[in-house]
Amino acid sequence: MSETMPPIDERDDDAMLAMDFALGALDGPAFRAAELRLRRDPAFAADVKRWQNELGPLSAAIVPVAAPAGAWTRIEGELFRGPIAVVAPSSIATRALSLWRGLALGASAVAALALALLIGRPGTPAATAPPALLAASMATTDAAKTILITATYDAARGTVVLLPAAKDASRGLTPELWIIVGQDKPRSLGLIDLRDPQAHVVPAALRGKLAGGATLAISLEPAGGSPTGTPTGPVVATGTLATI
Amino acid sequence: MTAGSGGAAAIVDVLALIGAGDRDALKKLYDSTSAKLFGVILRILIDRGEAEDVLQEVYITVWRKAAEFDASRASPITWLATIARNRAIDRLRARGSRPTTTLDLAADVVEPSPGADTLIDSANDARRVGAALDRLDPRHAAIIRSAYYEGLTYETLAEREGVPVGTLKSWVRRGLIRMRGEFAA
Repeated sequence: MSETMPPIDERDDDAMLAMDFALGALDGPAFRAAELRLRRDPAFAADVKRWQNELGPLSAAIVPVAAPAGAWTRIEGELFRGPIAVVAPSSIATRALSLWRGLALGASAVAALALALLIGRPGTPAATAPPALLAASMATTDAAKTILITATYDAARGTVVLLPAAKDASRGLTPELWIIVGQDKPRSLGLIDLRDPQAHVVPAALRGKLAGGATLAISLEPAGGSPTGTPTGPVVATGTLATI
Repeated sequence: MTAGSGGAAAIVDVLALIGAGDRDALKKLYDSTSAKLFGVILRILIDRGEAEDVLQEVYITVWRKAAEFDASRASPITWLATIARNRAIDRLRARGSRPTTTLDLAADVVEPSPGADTLIDSANDARRVGAALDRLDPRHAAIIRSAYYEGLTYETLAEREGVPVGTLKSWVRRGLIRMRGEFAA
């Protein structure tokens, strides 16, 4: 053993979490929470990166398998040939912001983008079971009712596509997405990010609750999400799902 | 430093072009890395349709995040494989279980052949990790490999091994800590 060995202790929860995440052994909620923490906690991210670099060479033993024919065409179609191209990484943030903002203005634009992102597959006949799409423009709860984010639910994939339409309102806290049906208590759909467009996977058990008329809400919670299972922090945005 | 192989250095250059918005560069990256990443994803998800969906997500993510890639902090292959693994694991967790009916396909794609392909950071790194694993208790090493290659949770692994989760976690964590100790030595 060399004395350059970094101090690592099985009782150090953060160090173990970084290791567990890099290995890939965390269960769903813990995995998602760790992924979000990566973006906010540079020390944790550095720890994870180190493990990823150390374990990375294990991938050398994985035999390459030719990707399905047509996969590239679909990637190209999603990125460059949709009605609205996904913003290139070199574009400045303000341009991206104005694009998302513009999208938030019309449900038809949201639908067009959702179709481009989710089911835009050149070569696939559109007639093959188009999935029901639900969307909600999520507005702030104050008098201004600013659209904060648009949410589009794709039932076929069980994912909500979230497109931020305004500045990040998370104030260093962890945004958590909730579904509320009628008078039922809110059920958590998991932790999200208010900064980047993302496809958020809805827990399988809750997918049935995403239907027209149900309310989506975002609350700000401590790191790791609400400790109680119901919203504990301020609700920053709400919106009602409607079929588009 | 892992830039010893020409493959990795070439990918660093291509990622820089992609970061600047070069579409042809993305195609070039796809041509040289998609089989490897599809292998990584398929090993976790088994189902080809789902694996293809995730492959698409991975290259879309790469297009968006290429500008963030820092060659001084990670090898490009590890960076790409990490994105692929994380997206695949995310999909696997959302599904809740692995299909058990397509094990033949799994057998086709999991033949370990270290050093057989050129798309690795360095054959030395791969051998070093393999050797460090081989010095662990064989059962513990096999569990670590399953976790890494198949994306299985501690709970699933514990059930499969017939031991309490705490015991299994401890085996894996101590094993990895020992591996790191050998790297540092």
